[in-house]
Amino acid sequence: MHLWKCVPPIALGAILALTPARGADDDTTRALTALKAVTKEGKGNEDAGPAWKTLVSKGVPALLPALEAFDDDNPTAANWLRTAVDAIAETEKAAGRKLPADKLEAFVKDTKRSATARRAAYELLVAQDAEAKGRLLPGLLNDKSADLRRDAIANQLDILEKLARPTIKADLEKLFAFTRDKDQVELVAKKIEENGGKVSVTEQFGFVTFAALVGPFDNTAGKGFAVAYPPESAINATGTFKGKGDVELKWGDPSTANKSGAFDLNKLLDKHKDAVTYAQAVVTAGAETSCDIRVTCATAVQIFLNGKKLFQREEYHHGTPFDGHVGKGTLRKGENVIVLKVCQNNQTENWAQAWQFQMRVCDATGGPLPLQQKVTTAGKTETHKLGWLPEMKEEKK
Amino acid sequence: MIRSLLVFTLTLALTPALFAADWPQFRGPNATGVSADKNLPSVWSKDKGHKWKATLPARGVSSPVVVGDRVYVTCASGIRGDRLHVLCFDAETGKQLWHRQLQATGSTACHPKSGMAANTPVADETGVYALFGTGDMAAFDKDGTLRWYRSLVTDYPTVTNAVGMAASPVLVAGKLIVPMDNAGESFLAAVDTKYGKNVWKTERPREINWTTPLVRQVGSTTELLFAGPKGLTAYDSATGSDRWTFKAGGGSIPIGVIDGDAIYLPVGGVTKFKIDDKGISEKSEWAAKDMTTGYPSPVVYGGRVFTVGSQGLAVCADAKTGKVIYKERLKGIYSASPVAGDEKVYFMNELSVCTVLSAKADEYEPLATNDLGEASLATPAIAHGRVYVRTDKALYAIGK
Repeated sequence: MHLWKCVPPIALGAILALTPARGADDDTTRALTALKAVTKEGKGNEDAGPAWKTLVSKGVPALLPALEAFDDDNPTAANWLRTAVDAIAETEKAAGRKLPADKLEAFVKDTKRSATARRAAYELLVAQDAEAKGRLLPGLLNDKSADLRRDAIANQLDILEKLARPTIKADLEKLFAFTRDKDQVELVAKKIEENGGKVSVTEQFGFVTFAALVGPFDNTAGKGFAVAYPPESAINATGTFKGKGDVELKWGDPSTANKSGAFDLNKLLDKHKDAVTYAQAVVTAGAETSCDIRVTCATAVQIFLNGKKLFQREEYHHGTPFDGHVGKGTLRKGENVIVLKVCQNNQTENWAQAWQFQMRVCDATGGPLPLQQKVTTAGKTETHKLGWLPEMKEEKK
Repeated sequence: MIRSLLVFTLTLALTPALFAADWPQFRGPNATGVSADKNLPSVWSKDKGHKWKATLPARGVSSPVVVGDRVYVTCASGIRGDRLHVLCFDAETGKQLWHRQLQATGSTACHPKSGMAANTPVADETGVYALFGTGDMAAFDKDGTLRWYRSLVTDYPTVTNAVGMAASPVLVAGKLIVPMDNAGESFLAAVDTKYGKNVWKTERPREINWTTPLVRQVGSTTELLFAGPKGLTAYDSATGSDRWTFKAGGGSIPIGVIDGDAIYLPVGGVTKFKIDDKGISEKSEWAAKDMTTGYPSPVVYGGRVFTVGSQGLAVCADAKTGKVIYKERLKGIYSASPVAGDEKVYFMNELSVCTVLSAKADEYEPLATNDLGEASLATPAIAHGRVYVRTDKALYAIGK
């Protein structure tokens, strides 16, 4: 006897009310409930296994309810559902039956649904109706699904280049606003330049391009990662601190990122080893705004927003994946202080000498937010769009 | 020559894994890289010598595994590498029997050579257990029914390895052994094969590591021999408690081979040690510095040890003495480990050019050099009298 079969009627009523499964029978609803109840370390797996079989046995009638049950905030449950969707679709295909194309298409268009589920529905639809791509992609340029958006942008770029209209520069600039993936951002920016235009890649990414730095603090044997040095809770770039070797430290004037939004600490400070440094930026929002603070860095980092730690990862020199570290937070209306803790260890290999970071503030899709950076130098304050960079001379190599 | 043949025959007879026809895990039975199958193919090409070829949806550096009439393969797709695939094929016909997909829940950061389908799955007669570099882990029955799923990065959020994870799970007595050495919370765990819940979870050093545990029986205890940067540790597979550590047996990519009372470890080239119930002897039997490994692991077969280094230096040495019999620079870069069976040894480079050597020859005399014309970093599998090769694009059953 499994738990999902024993749900009492009153509880079932409550569950039915909460489960957005249109047209689902009781077995399907109970199965979906069991699948959505899985949590950490396999808790709920005993019930999820039989529930998965029940769901798949229902066939096509369970397909849309299964897609509707996806929740991007519960990826564990979503993967149980994802494989059930595969199994249902595979059975139908083997039997030579078509999936309900109209319902799948409506589901793809319903942006309130899970991005993962909508992508799955899109692929099922396109697999049996290749023309669906042409119908759907133009409407998915600003989609929250990274994969749908990516395909839509590639499709639109292809169309624009084939049309080669006189308005191509303006068309590309409109398309640029939708780009999120690094390769597509850079590709469309390049095509705009080739057509006589210019867009700011650093503004599109929302790179923090001005940051005050203070360091080095001690990170011998990696212990500094766990030490909350005073700059972590800084609300501005003032005060003095005792740094590594008892050296007195204070925040420097804001440094400027290079043309790709990177702060090279080896150049801006020194080639310190076993060290911690802090970078502080002040970002102004016109209203309370959910944001991602995304950092690209080869060494251990911690991300703070208004004194609250959003993210930490203690890993050194294993690679520098773009947006490898993501803190999710909420910007308050007005000024927000972002502090990044960047650690360095004592590895001696050539490939382990990098000590730099890129940091950006963006929406959940990786897109730009309407934010300003506040830069105060020698008592003089300037405000610039997030990602703005002054014209720079080419760096000497 | 007669003596060599005797040693060869005796070794074949004494190696228990050689009686298995399946290839259920990374490097096959007991992770030896050796199959007992006969009539294995020597010659093939892009267009000839295949029983079948099946298109794969995406790349992977994991090996195919074969149990009974099923071949299982994993792939990862998408610009972010975050779509994870498990596929099952009919071993006889190549017909795709089922295909399941997961959305990655962990980081997909990795070295450009690798990918999220890097850990080789492990299978038994009931189905397949797939672990991905993202920490996503799932068990499927042989008909594609999802038995259970775990997101290890959701369970243990500090798990991270930006080089990419690739250690493969193994099965021991109803438990799936999960190696998870990384820069965050590191562990070796056993999960039950029915529901995927932890039976035990043993803390490990926070260091990245790609080795797959070896399994051996010591009296009533089944030991897991797990190498890491600080040494090779034996764990009791029933409890996860550590029994002994051999500090000189450290490693992070290639794995050793247990052969009777000897263990051949990829340290200092290849070094042979005695191994008994108490552990590995401090004093080595021999060390062959020329036997560089890099990514590929050594294979011990027919009284000989075969290695290929990442840069293509293939070396054959006498297993008893460590004396190098011959060495030859093969063309190309090597990630896949050599595999052996039917008195042949197969060395496949990253362009899927496979040099087939006679296991008995005293000189470098390739039986054939076969080119599939596609990139492949995965170690081939041997089962059912065939060599199964997965390239970046396709799965081949080579042979009759």
